[in-house]
Amino acid sequence: MPLGTGVLAAVAAGALVAIVAFLVIGVRSGPLSWNLLVTSSVWDPGRGRFGATAMIFGTAAVAVLALALAAPVGWAAAIAIAELAPARWRRILRAGSEVLAVVPSIVYGLIGIAFVRPFVARFADVPGGDSLVAAALVLAVMVLPTVIAVSADALAGVPDATREAAAACGLTRTEVIRSAVLPLARRGMGAGLLLGLARALGETIAVFLVVGRADGRFPTSAGDVLTRLARPGQTLTTKLNGPESVLAGTSGAHWAALCGLGLLLLLAVAALTVAGQRRSRTREVSGRRSMPRADGRQLVPGWASLGRAGTDRLARWTALAALGSTLLLVAAVVAVIVTRGQAALHPTFWWRPAQGASGGGVRDQIVGTALLVGVAGLMVAPVGLALGLALSEYAGPRTARWLRTATLTLGGMPSILLGLWGYWLFNVRLGWGRSWLTGGVLLALVALSPVVVAVAAAVDALPREHREAGLACGLRRDQLVRSVLVPHALPGLLTGTLLGLARAAGETAPLLFTAAVFSGASTLPSGVRDTPVSALSTHIFTLAQDSAEPAAARATWGAALALVVVAGLLVLAAVPARRRMERTAR
Amino acid sequence: MTAVRVRQLTVTRGGRVLAGPVSFEVAAGTTVGLQGPSGAGKSTVLRALVGLLPAPLVATGGIDVLGVDVAAPGVDLPALRARAALVGQTPVVFPASIQANAVFGVRHVRRATRVVLRERAEAALVEAGLWDEVADRLDAPADQLSIGQRQRLCLARALALEPELLLLDEPTSALDATATAAVEAAVTGLRGRRTVLVVSHDPAQLARMCDDVVRVGEEHPSLS
Repeated sequence: MPLGTGVLAAVAAGALVAIVAFLVIGVRSGPLSWNLLVTSSVWDPGRGRFGATAMIFGTAAVAVLALALAAPVGWAAAIAIAELAPARWRRILRAGSEVLAVVPSIVYGLIGIAFVRPFVARFADVPGGDSLVAAALVLAVMVLPTVIAVSADALAGVPDATREAAAACGLTRTEVIRSAVLPLARRGMGAGLLLGLARALGETIAVFLVVGRADGRFPTSAGDVLTRLARPGQTLTTKLNGPESVLAGTSGAHWAALCGLGLLLLLAVAALTVAGQRRSRTREVSGRRSMPRADGRQLVPGWASLGRAGTDRLARWTALAALGSTLLLVAAVVAVIVTRGQAALHPTFWWRPAQGASGGGVRDQIVGTALLVGVAGLMVAPVGLALGLALSEYAGPRTARWLRTATLTLGGMPSILLGLWGYWLFNVRLGWGRSWLTGGVLLALVALSPVVVAVAAAVDALPREHREAGLACGLRRDQLVRSVLVPHALPGLLTGTLLGLARAAGETAPLLFTAAVFSGASTLPSGVRDTPVSALSTHIFTLAQDSAEPAAARATWGAALALVVVAGLLVLAAVPARRRMERTAR
Repeated sequence: MTAVRVRQLTVTRGGRVLAGPVSFEVAAGTTVGLQGPSGAGKSTVLRALVGLLPAPLVATGGIDVLGVDVAAPGVDLPALRARAALVGQTPVVFPASIQANAVFGVRHVRRATRVVLRERAEAALVEAGLWDEVADRLDAPADQLSIGQRQRLCLARALALEPELLLLDEPTSALDATATAAVEAAVTGLRGRRTVLVVSHDPAQLARMCDDVVRVGEEHPSLS
């Protein structure tokens, strides 16, 4: 492997090791009782007691409830897209559902504050509506596109011959799906559940704004679980994103306890991410599992009166209704962002600086976000290319597997952990204070996984003949990489970079402690130390927490629309490159 | 009695003709071959008979299968396909046991007890000439079978429906010589007892298996 490629790949793989090491060092910096951490619900830094069961419960409850809502809808919508919709609509329906994935989590937080909290307040006795259940509702919408995308891919992977063979035996459309398609797609659809769960566990900002952030206690009985759900709560991520992380210092019992929470979170998310990716790539071929139950009679009460045709119609309408409600949700989210964000429709909003909490525009925030994203892009493109080539071309099978796992883990990494790591390493250890460069580095890590995955996929898709043709001309391996593999992988690199940066542009948690301030930053920083910038996401985050004032609400939603536009443009820019890649892959 | 009556059937895709026009009849109880060069649209015609054309393909003309007008609006295609079962070119086995594959269609289409299903599976496997090879491992995964056995399992799956008409689409094109002989023997064994319409590009094979042969696409060399 050329030295440069090796160094860059090592840097990227090293980042993950560094984050795990940082958490371990943090845990070891103070006395930490793991036993107490996972059995006690008393979290009292003043008396040195650190028990996290209430937060573990909060995390689990929010994630499980979100998936319980999102998985059935997502699966049914995926079936409607991949099995029931006409072939030429599939692409546009999928793109429609993916709009939900483009909206940054901070904007979901705003929607949660504006709509979900009042909704919960009306039904449960919670002032303001801050509660675990509100967080779960917001998360359900956020994980929906993950469930749909992964499940639709799994369904699309089932060969048409299977559908035809089943239909040729006289099965109805629904029977074909249930008896022939689902047994093959089940693993992949399960992966959608795991990846959605990983996303839900790691989500920070949207939950932070609606969960109430009261440590609460572990439920004492089954009935108490329901009561707890309707009360303000705390999750692992919101605890880490709170003021305690900055107040705890960077050593000692309090910091060690926080790092312990981070380690628990990382382990759970990494396990789910890796398991989910594995499942989505392997297909179930063994026939040891018996076929699903003989017919619909046990599944749908009243089957006999409905008849086969009636069951078929009912099931199809159910799936189409799930797709319809997903698309309605997309329309509602877009409509809310556009109507509330009207401030951003006036051009002056984009080029006037912000004035305090409520006035002015977002000029500095746009510049700051562009700077952070640009810096991240300059770093992530070469590093991602190097790591992608390293794992798909240079590494042996064993190293490749490790690199792939590291990449996926980094991709599923809760961004608050990146934020804490950046805070510890750059702010404190290196003494940079808040710096734009830290922000750029952290956003590059956010964007890295999609870049590596896209590059590796492009290299893997290169037909063997191309490689042989190159080698037959007498090219050495590095020459082959430079003149055959890299040109072939460029559209993948571009797509991955743009999609990764779209995600990075909306990130809030990594920037809060490390790179961004609400006011007092110069438009463009000079130097590295103590050079914070303003960013759209953190700007919204600060405004959102006192958005009762109408002028502040106007500025908040205006900035939200601006952020969605920025992220949306990056995604749209990726579309032509992705199209081209799909065409050459075929 | 006539099982299939096709008049001036044409299959088009966005106005471009893919198959036909063809007209033919299949009398009940006979084995009829549909012969023509590759690309003449034989398989497409077979699929049109039971409404299995993939989306952009459109069939025009008269198709009457077992007394059902296939083109009529609101026609119950699943019910027709259970009476006129089609076996495809490449053997598709579902991820389940051999027996579950054999009764895959029939357990949806008819109410039947476990015992009856077991009997149907045995009868169908016997008729498809596979019983002796799998009798002792009916609950083993079907993907353990060789490709020739799989194709006969697909045949058994169709026969388990007790169809009035059997449609075979190039049933041996994916198979080697030994497997081809086994499938051919199974199909020949049905002769006189079932109505069979079989598509093949191999005239010698059709001559061995069929009472009558219909040619597709030869009068229209531009189509091939």
